[in-house]
Amino acid sequence: MATFPVSKPVPPRAAMRVASGEPESRENLVDRAASGEVDAFEELYRENAGRVYLLCLRMCGDPSLAEELAQEAFIRAWQKLGSFRGDSAFSTWLHRVTVNVVLGDRRSTARREAHVKPARDDFPVDLSASEPSPGRALDLERSIAALPDGARAVFVLHDVEGYRHKEIARLIGVAEGTSKAQLHRARKLLRKALAS
Amino acid sequence: MSCHEWSSCFDDFLDGRLDAAEEKGLQTHIAGCPSCAGELASIRELRDLAAALPRSLEPPRDLWPGIEARVSATKVVRGRFGRRAILAAAAAVVIVSSVVTAYFLGRSQAVMVTAEAPTVVESGPSDVLLASFEGLGVYNYLDTRTELLDALEARKHELSGETMEVVMDNLLLIDQAMDRIAEALGEDPENEFLMKQLAGAYRRQIDLLQRAVRMPAEI
Repeated sequence: MATFPVSKPVPPRAAMRVASGEPESRENLVDRAASGEVDAFEELYRENAGRVYLLCLRMCGDPSLAEELAQEAFIRAWQKLGSFRGDSAFSTWLHRVTVNVVLGDRRSTARREAHVKPARDDFPVDLSASEPSPGRALDLERSIAALPDGARAVFVLHDVEGYRHKEIARLIGVAEGTSKAQLHRARKLLRKALAS
Repeated sequence: MSCHEWSSCFDDFLDGRLDAAEEKGLQTHIAGCPSCAGELASIRELRDLAAALPRSLEPPRDLWPGIEARVSATKVVRGRFGRRAILAAAAAVVIVSSVVTAYFLGRSQAVMVTAEAPTVVESGPSDVLLASFEGLGVYNYLDTRTELLDALEARKHELSGETMEVVMDNLLLIDQAMDRIAEALGEDPENEFLMKQLAGAYRRQIDLLQRAVRMPAEI
């Protein structure tokens, strides 16, 4: 199985910007990026790339597509930085932008598949440090990747990311009951996959 | 209730969505039914395992070069949502329905009514505004607006500075009106009059941008 270790990010150019040696505040970084400073945005990318990529990977189940979507999420964030009000953390806002990008891709392409895909053997997440059972966690990642698109999106948003059904329904554009039904389906399929 | 019926409540039970009576009934059933107890434990284990999964994984290759190439080529339009632009535009106004039409019919006859003391408007659409749009069935407000602003930005060199200024001023007027309407909707979400006003403001804003994007070149 191919795994990609968690790599150390390249030190951002702006990291040494503050003469005192203290890291630049997140708010200041966001403000500079919002005013068009690309190096500030790079630092935001370095801080958030791992989380954005993994969210994309889990939601789409395809490592190559996840790279495309993660790139698109950051580009969308750059375009929309002016709409970031600072009411929540930047990472929270970026998370929502990413979810919208992934869901938008699902809606706009024919990637939706009605059938259950075979489980991937090369799910690229190093789960050796996962607690309490890395083997079970890896099995779960593979099984999530094999879920039908709709069930996978709802399961990842609800059980992994902690969104509520009302929010998921709004994001996906379905009724709350549909979100619940998809979660029920996903949990059932996953329990079956993990038991086999 | 049968085991099948109880099992349909397991998700709601684990997610805390059952009322007290339903929860008590389920717990009583579980206490006497090893099969349902096992199924519930299995769902709980899955949920806990999912919640404990890692939240971050560096992509297998550095995505920044591709992102940098695209963001560097994209000059971001900061209209309503640009903090600096908004802080500079401090006049609070009320919207009049003729403001857009008047401008495009008579170009220099744009009607702007300054009715209240200057107010600094915070940047960005409020959650209430976005939720209100969704209430109207408008789910792509930000995308539509961003696309039109991008198209306008691409045509900026063909339009006079005066025209751009008037367009952006009118855009700001409508933004401010939307903020006010959204604020009122926050207190009275079911108010049909306010929803109609918001829908009208949305149409006017998109119309303004579309007309500006389609205007003949002036330079």
